[in-house]
Amino acid sequence: MAEAEKSMGSDNVEDILTKIENKSLKIESLIKQYKPIEAIKTALEGYPPQDERCKFANWIVVRKALMAIKDVEGILRSLNPQYYDILMKYVYRGLSTGDRTTCDQCLKIHEKLTEKAGFGCILRSLADTVNTV
Amino acid sequence: MASTLRLYLTCIRNTLEAAMCLQNFPCQEVERHNKPEVELKTSPELLLNPVLICRNEAEKCLIETSINSLRISLKVKQADELENILAKKFLRFLSMRAEAFQVLRRKPVQGYDISFLITNYHCEELQKQKLIDFIVQFMEDIDKEISELKMSVSTRGRLVATEFLKQF
Repeated sequence: MAEAEKSMGSDNVEDILTKIENKSLKIESLIKQYKPIEAIKTALEGYPPQDERCKFANWIVVRKALMAIKDVEGILRSLNPQYYDILMKYVYRGLSTGDRTTCDQCLKIHEKLTEKAGFGCILRSLADTVNTV
Repeated sequence: MASTLRLYLTCIRNTLEAAMCLQNFPCQEVERHNKPEVELKTSPELLLNPVLICRNEAEKCLIETSINSLRISLKVKQADELENILAKKFLRFLSMRAEAFQVLRRKPVQGYDISFLITNYHCEELQKQKLIDFIVQFMEDIDKEISELKMSVSTRGRLVATEFLKQF
């Protein structure tokens, strides 16, 4: 029983990794077509995965989309408010990497996002210990 | 350069505003004890996600919150050996006088240069906004202090060397 569950678990992980790869290709094509808004929306969609490898793969994809943003205000204006919380979680993940370019971009996004979404957004990303990113 | 500093400090200020939501919480394990949960980390339900805000590879700030306490650890920029020594000495000087600061921690957290521990009692006695202003101001002033110290050390060194070599 436990073995069957384990194999189911690993299947899920492989599934999720392939889904994330497809997402990555879609996002790269959207970025090339100068559509960063759609790229961000596609990147942030979907429930954040539970497995560490999937989280890392998902983070790489979101990072690509985040680094392609040039006009932060415009993007936030057109982004659906339901994505603010998950975007804030990814911004904090970006800030923890320590890589200079990522941190610069994430600091810019953090400032504008806090102006738009308020302190509640930050607190929700701090308090949510279950759906970490 | 200056703009990333401003963004970095704004980010830390906003995160502190959101994270400084402390209330009194007596210890769950031991009767009549009241401990800062962020230091002991005994129960996971009392802790929030720790947040690491990096400005670049050298400077970072770790903010850990719990229900009754908040710990802020800073790593200050140290460009060369001299700044390394000056920063260490200066921050050790401050940490040893932590009683006077109230919110300072006597020993910095492993991997960082200086740490603050803010408990619910501090939030009751002192104003939350002023605490946050203090911490952000502290971060700005540290950089200035260390560059001032470095300049005075090199000036003194130059004067001493000129005087000494005059005799030759």
